[in-house]
Amino acid sequence: MPAAFPATAAPRTRRLNLKVLAAGAALVLPLIAVLLFNLGRDPHSVRSPLVGGPAPAFALQPIAGGAPLTLESLRGHPVVVNFWATWCVPCISEQQSLTAAARGLRDARFVGIVYEDEKPRIEAFLAERPLDYPVLMDPGARAAIAYGVSGVPETFFIDGEGRIVEKYVGPLDRQTIAALVSKARGSPR
Amino acid sequence: MVPILGRSLILLALLAASAGSLLALATGARPSVAGWVWSRRLAYAFGGLMLLANLTMEYALLAHDFSVGYVAHVGSRSVPAWVSAVSLWSSLEGSILFWGLVLGAYVALTTWANRDRYPEHMPWAVGIWLACGAFFSFLLAGPAQPFATVANPPLDGPGPNALLQNHYLMVIHPPFLYAGYVGMTIPFGFACAALFAGKLGHDFLRPLRNALLLPWIFLTIAIVLGGWWAYEVLGWGGYWAWDPVENASFLPWLTATAALHSALLVERKGVLKGWTVTLIAATFLLTILGTFMTRSGVFNSVHSFTQSAIGPTILAFLAVSLLFSVALFALRVDTLEAEGSLTPGVSRDAAFLVQNLLFVLFTFTVLLGTVFPLVMEAARGVQMSVGRPYFDQMAVPIGVALLFVMGVGPALPWGRATGQQIQRALVPPLLGATALTLAGFLLGVRSRWTLLALLCGGFTAQVTLSEMILPVRQRMRAHGEDILEALRSAGRRGRRRFGAYVVHAGAILAIVAIAVSSTMGSSKEIQLREGESASLGAYTLTFVKGEVVQEPHRESVRARMEIEKNGQRLGTLFPAMNYYESQREPVGTPAVRSGLTEDLYLSVHNIDARAGTVGLLVLVNPMVAWIWVATAIMALGGLVALVPPLRARALAARMAAAESAPAIEGLQ
Repeated sequence: MPAAFPATAAPRTRRLNLKVLAAGAALVLPLIAVLLFNLGRDPHSVRSPLVGGPAPAFALQPIAGGAPLTLESLRGHPVVVNFWATWCVPCISEQQSLTAAARGLRDARFVGIVYEDEKPRIEAFLAERPLDYPVLMDPGARAAIAYGVSGVPETFFIDGEGRIVEKYVGPLDRQTIAALVSKARGSPR
Repeated sequence: MVPILGRSLILLALLAASAGSLLALATGARPSVAGWVWSRRLAYAFGGLMLLANLTMEYALLAHDFSVGYVAHVGSRSVPAWVSAVSLWSSLEGSILFWGLVLGAYVALTTWANRDRYPEHMPWAVGIWLACGAFFSFLLAGPAQPFATVANPPLDGPGPNALLQNHYLMVIHPPFLYAGYVGMTIPFGFACAALFAGKLGHDFLRPLRNALLLPWIFLTIAIVLGGWWAYEVLGWGGYWAWDPVENASFLPWLTATAALHSALLVERKGVLKGWTVTLIAATFLLTILGTFMTRSGVFNSVHSFTQSAIGPTILAFLAVSLLFSVALFALRVDTLEAEGSLTPGVSRDAAFLVQNLLFVLFTFTVLLGTVFPLVMEAARGVQMSVGRPYFDQMAVPIGVALLFVMGVGPALPWGRATGQQIQRALVPPLLGATALTLAGFLLGVRSRWTLLALLCGGFTAQVTLSEMILPVRQRMRAHGEDILEALRSAGRRGRRRFGAYVVHAGAILAIVAIAVSSTMGSSKEIQLREGESASLGAYTLTFVKGEVVQEPHRESVRARMEIEKNGQRLGTLFPAMNYYESQREPVGTPAVRSGLTEDLYLSVHNIDARAGTVGLLVLVNPMVAWIWVATAIMALGGLVALVPPLRARALAARMAAAESAPAIEGLQ
């Protein structure tokens, strides 16, 4: 059968097979509904049991040198603890927002804790892009373990009493930082 | 520079695909030569642009151009070049780009191969393929952009997922999976074209079936490679866990296998046309569902790409495809008229129907088990998992039934069998069945289901072998040919049939091997100090020492284990724990000593080279190696069945050149 282009147009029929339509809809619509309902749910998300409880204490050496910084010494201020690393691209992208927020929100204290990274790399990084808040080394990842950090960036918002008000996973923007800091400010004393 | 080039290529591909899709569909509705010529050109352009976009990304990966978003995300200067090259499919955006490459290649090549055939169908098919191409180009242009510009490029990146770097199987598994998954778009386009044209005749069945068979072969290999990878890497000693992502690859395989069989009934009897195109459409839709499963973050799985923003976009595409298919079927399925009818009674036809129903039942079982946790979450707000018991309970009986039907069908004649024919066909193979079951029992098989699998496997194996030899015997008897001559001519004439039986032989072997390996193994957990030994069955394992091995992209702590069996030294195994820069959790590498009858499998739980201690999971897994062999046989059989059309085509071309007569159809 030699093929020839163009073909003749297909026959037009206007018969709608209702059985097929009903069966197809009965299968397809619930499936779409279930998938739609579950969209946006993260099966990995387990609410941190630390939220609402006291923030684990730490005393860590700032990369710039000097005495170890303790969480205790920041009592009375809302505290933003940001876990980050130089190998983490989203961490670097959120640092602009963090620096800007640290300048704008004068009452809050910002702290960066280095997660799974080496001192020379951090120093080289900070020489190029300095941060406006102290960056602390976390040898043996003790603080990261105490805070249950499973990846970076993760940021903890702590109120003046030393309670964790919120844990944020992923890169932050300025609005979110401002909102969560005011939540840390406003929590009952 | 590179990001802009990449983005431009993607945008051009989007343009070519959407314009080509609209034009081709319009050409389908109002045939015109110019419309068809330009539809084809746009299909080639789409394939070419996707190729260029992928080459651009490869260049960026190998040149460590961290101004490209994807490279900044998965690239690293500290990994070997081959890891950089395969990073293309190590993460979300790159894998979608790779999807585009595979789709582009399939579309361009299939369009080219059929450029002057099937004028009623091809424009519709190209329209559907390019619509899919437009969607994936859109994903790459927006929601999953691999060529985003990084404003302040980092000096170095984290490197790809450690699992990808850990084992070569993870490097070759994804390309096979994509070749299978993406390839299902082609038969879907053909099926839609058959509905649009209102015609599924004998001539169009061949491209439809071949378009289905090729990705089916890839998907078969990919599923087993995935299992093999899990076995060699994950360290829990098994190869299949009914994980949502494993199910995602298995579901379209089930419907595609069913469709390959129902297409035979269309060919033989002219019936089940609507059913066959439904199965083909279902196969495609299940691949999109699978893509949603792995990339939306909705399903909890070891393999899923973590939290991504493209879930809603893929769901929208899935919903549109589902609704489009339902509407198209409801409007057009009645145009596919049956040309014959099925005779009721016991026959090969009936076996085909049973087989099809079993496969569909299997599909629904797996689909239900996969989606059920989501239903529960939606309805009751509880998190739950159906888990292995459900799947095993359902899959084992269906698998054994399929194994049996695979023997009954080929043993029976087409049409309608008389009582005597049935008896003659079914009784002798019972000998094979009894023999295999007895052998299994003597070797210590006591599980009821495994014995039943051996019974059905033995039955089906005998039928399959005799069906393979039958044409050779017939030729020897009828034409007086010697065995070699008969083999050659039988192979020439009935290659598709022969290939199909090779696939069946592989499937029997696979099912029996799965049954034996999952019921006959033994395992033990041991904790050893340097110099200490432990034993499992006939094996004695001695922990000599722990060693630290530095490699460019990882540090590996391995246990030197001396292995003896029945007092004879077998060699040394090195189960290891690997540490990667990009990952906090170490990745284990089990050591497997594969043999014809059983594997010895060692997996490290904990190891301390300095303290000289190791904790191991030791398993003896019987017959596992046969699963890999069986898959190779199945793939080979598929290839044998696929090759004739190519040869027939070459032959036809030669004949056409010689006689300048159109003699393409009707050969073979």
